[in-house]
Amino acid sequence: MRRGIVASPGPASALLGRCFPGLPLLAAPRRGRKSRTDPPAKSKLGRIKLPPPVDPAELLVVQERYRHYLSILRTLRAEFRHEVEQRRYAEKYGDVGKQRKEAAMEEHRQLMAFNDAENRRLQQRREERLRREEAEVKERRLRGDQNRALHLEKLLEEREREVLQLQEEAKDFVTLDNLEEKIEECLNNPRNYNFAVDKDGRVAKRSVLS
Amino acid sequence: MPMKGRFPIRRTLQYLNQGDVVFKNSVKVMTVNYNTFGELGEGARKFVFFNIPQIQYKNPWVQIMMFKNMTPSPFIKFYLDSGEQVLVDVEEKTNKEIVQHIKKIIGKSEETLEKEAREKMKLRHPATFGPKKYHLRECMCEIKGQIPCPGKVPLPKEMTGKYKAAMKENAASEAGSV
Repeated sequence: MRRGIVASPGPASALLGRCFPGLPLLAAPRRGRKSRTDPPAKSKLGRIKLPPPVDPAELLVVQERYRHYLSILRTLRAEFRHEVEQRRYAEKYGDVGKQRKEAAMEEHRQLMAFNDAENRRLQQRREERLRREEAEVKERRLRGDQNRALHLEKLLEEREREVLQLQEEAKDFVTLDNLEEKIEECLNNPRNYNFAVDKDGRVAKRSVLS
Repeated sequence: MPMKGRFPIRRTLQYLNQGDVVFKNSVKVMTVNYNTFGELGEGARKFVFFNIPQIQYKNPWVQIMMFKNMTPSPFIKFYLDSGEQVLVDVEEKTNKEIVQHIKKIIGKSEETLEKEAREKMKLRHPATFGPKKYHLRECMCEIKGQIPCPGKVPLPKEMTGKYKAAMKENAASEAGSV
């Protein structure tokens, strides 16, 4: 069974002797043309696949050398790994690590102290501000009370004035007693209200006032 | 399509990456108490609005909680794994000042961050290739300027192995015949 496009005669054609040696190959041979279920070729019937030949002595020598080499490599690797582990352990638990941790704790303490100082400063400012605000409020209340007292006084004064004025005007009031006199007075002094007044309250000149 | 919400720039990666406060490993929880009114807490409000996303982005394993209008004055509290609590008063401070203060008292210093970056770089040797878990790249085709992956873009004919083999055969056969 052939898969895909069949190529032109493969490299074997060169050995078999081509008709036109000048012609180039159109396409290279494709590997693995046969699938799993294809039977092997007839030319391969008597084929026995053997591993490459090995010289036992050489093999022993080579194996021994490889054994040495690999063991050296293994020890080197273990050595380096051990060193790295030691360093990491010392970093974490040893003196170096402890010093580092101490330094970090010290720095942390300093920073916390700085933060506390800052907080205290802000607290003082806040207290100051609250005191100022309280004082302001007190002063405002005081001023308000004073203003109210003044206002009350003014009111009282005005009321008194009004009362006095009324008392003054009461002297001209017409009562049953002086009714007759008032009537007499009005009759004796006739007044003419027949005059024009402008918006400002001034009397117009041309009207006759008698 | 425009971005939605007030100051949507807070949601961009570039903005989030600009945050430079990385907390120490001992910080586990951060709580921010602030008020929605008052002139003095303006800095705290701005801090919550603008800087908290940056901080959370850089510290994904720190729990950050916000409480509104629970106390008369705003403050920030950090809970460390040793049980210690760090209180930071943030009244009358601008959001920049708050960030600076926090970075100073409880953030990792520049040199620590650099050291950590260097350590991280050491783990990934740039010259080795292999699984992504242990190496930076798996194949040469991932690097800019190199040939693209032949699985995606077929190689030119002249570079394929079978063409080269065919040419070699051809040359050998021609030499043999001559």
